[in-house]
Amino acid sequence: MKFFNVSGLVVASEIDLPWRPADAVTTPDVTIRQGETPTDLSGAVEFGPTWRIAGDQFLMRIPGIARFLLISGREITFEIEDGAAPEDVAVFIIGTVFGILLHQRQQIVLHASAVRVGDKAVLFCGPSGAGKSTMAAALNQQGYQLLTDDVCAIDLDASGTLVAQSDGRRLKLWEQAIKGLDLAERKAEAVRSRLEKFYVEPHEPTNQTLPLGAVYVLREHRPPHQEGIERPNVVDAALFVRRNAYRPRLVAAMAQKDRYFRSAAAIAAGPGVFLLTRPLAFKALPGVIEGLERHWREIGLIGAAP
Amino acid sequence: MNERVWLASYPKSGNTWFRLLIGCLTLKDGASVDVNETAAKGGIASARLPFDHVTLIESDLLTLDEIDLLRPRVYEAMAQSLEEEPEDAGQAPDLEFVKTHDAYTLTPSGEPLMAGARGAKAAILIVRDPRDVVASLANHNQSTLDEAIAVMNNPAGALCAKSDRIHKQLRQIMLSWSGYAASWLDQRDIPVHLVRYEDLKQDTAATFAEAMAFAGQPISLEEAARAARLVDFSELQTQERERGFGEKPVKTEAFFRKGQMGGWREELTAEQVERIEAAHAPMMARLGYALSPRLERTG
Repeated sequence: MKFFNVSGLVVASEIDLPWRPADAVTTPDVTIRQGETPTDLSGAVEFGPTWRIAGDQFLMRIPGIARFLLISGREITFEIEDGAAPEDVAVFIIGTVFGILLHQRQQIVLHASAVRVGDKAVLFCGPSGAGKSTMAAALNQQGYQLLTDDVCAIDLDASGTLVAQSDGRRLKLWEQAIKGLDLAERKAEAVRSRLEKFYVEPHEPTNQTLPLGAVYVLREHRPPHQEGIERPNVVDAALFVRRNAYRPRLVAAMAQKDRYFRSAAAIAAGPGVFLLTRPLAFKALPGVIEGLERHWREIGLIGAAP
Repeated sequence: MNERVWLASYPKSGNTWFRLLIGCLTLKDGASVDVNETAAKGGIASARLPFDHVTLIESDLLTLDEIDLLRPRVYEAMAQSLEEEPEDAGQAPDLEFVKTHDAYTLTPSGEPLMAGARGAKAAILIVRDPRDVVASLANHNQSTLDEAIAVMNNPAGALCAKSDRIHKQLRQIMLSWSGYAASWLDQRDIPVHLVRYEDLKQDTAATFAEAMAFAGQPISLEEAARAARLVDFSELQTQERERGFGEKPVKTEAFFRKGQMGGWREELTAEQVERIEAAHAPMMARLGYALSPRLERTG
């Protein structure tokens, strides 16, 4: 078994995964094994074309790749489908499967990448293609440590402070973004053999759990949206946060709407939820980062410019 | 179960205009249309987010063909309202019109990409004289006219098909301009109603009302005429100038460019016209677009 620290949990896995190895071998919170996995679940009450929920069991199928059975947020069993490349399974485990498991554990989990700003976590949320990883990569190049990419678990610590968990994840970037950000030197293997999307080694990843500093919802600058940073009212902000749950469909399917609403309201009223509307072009990034740093000074995440 | 109707068209053939007409039907008296708000309703079949929501899979970790294999399942689920989020979306309409630039093709496993009758109950196919599509498409893509012609003549034409990046939308196989129309007209899974841009231009109210009757939401000629007045082309241009339009490609000057018929006579060279006509003569004849005299003489 290999042990990892992920989203505040200790995970033991039969196969190697692109996560941070655990500091010490302890009783795992989650175990991942390869084994026989059903093709259907009887008594499913919530389902979609690729998934079923029955009681504490969740069956996920990625056609032509693998089936995954998640039990009680503690066990993941997977079976590779005929003709699939075994090395293709890992990226789905660390992404959608583990994200579903966090939902199953009643964890608040956002579709977000995060960097460290001062002593806080700054999150960038949005659906695939919104530019989360690109934003985190560009900030990482400017010296901001990477906290997590794509999946961000939110917790309350012992003192009741909202914190974001680090994952020791590498960035996942498309070839176009690697070129656009001039990151070829840090490019590692492809996330899947048949995709031009690659792992990219971050500068100085951090493995700390950090209090939330701000949550930005990424939007492309297109009419009718105005370019810039704005703070929506608390009700809208809560809705934005829930829409950026890692898998919004599961918030409803797992009866977690109240839970998300309360956490979202706490984030909105505390650290703050902001809409960051900017052009998607790589050449716009320096200006966007300048605007962000100005905003971080305004909200006290970093000191005034010297 | 809500009912869906595909609004299928090759790009730059009046799809947005048609959706704006539909959007005007629910406007209260005295209200004016907001192009950004109204055009966005119903979305586009190739949108990435609904796919990710319904499947729980990040589509950008799948190959373009793997995505296509799953798309019929997604359209079935959406037709059964599995994706709805009631308190966000408000009351779901009984009849939903969904734009698509996908040709009616089969997936690698041989089933209809659009899920046949399980994906939608019918389709409205909007076509436009291909010679007029050329300049509009070139403007949309910020390409030359010759490049636009090459796209329209490419039997494997596709949108959002680059493999080194994530496109906002899923790949859409369009085939050629002729192939697109043929794919929808010749499929036998769902009824299809043909709307010609030129007919919509010449008699908007009657053409629109006829299409709505086909879709199962009959409207009076008066309602159709009111919608036509509200989305008069100059109104769309004015709104785009003043507030911008979200569907405009970033580098393109204007989405609502001219909206004319027969503009190709001034915009294309005789040689360009010939290249389009040579590639699409049979479908043009089928759709009632007369070839220019020169080609008829030589052909």
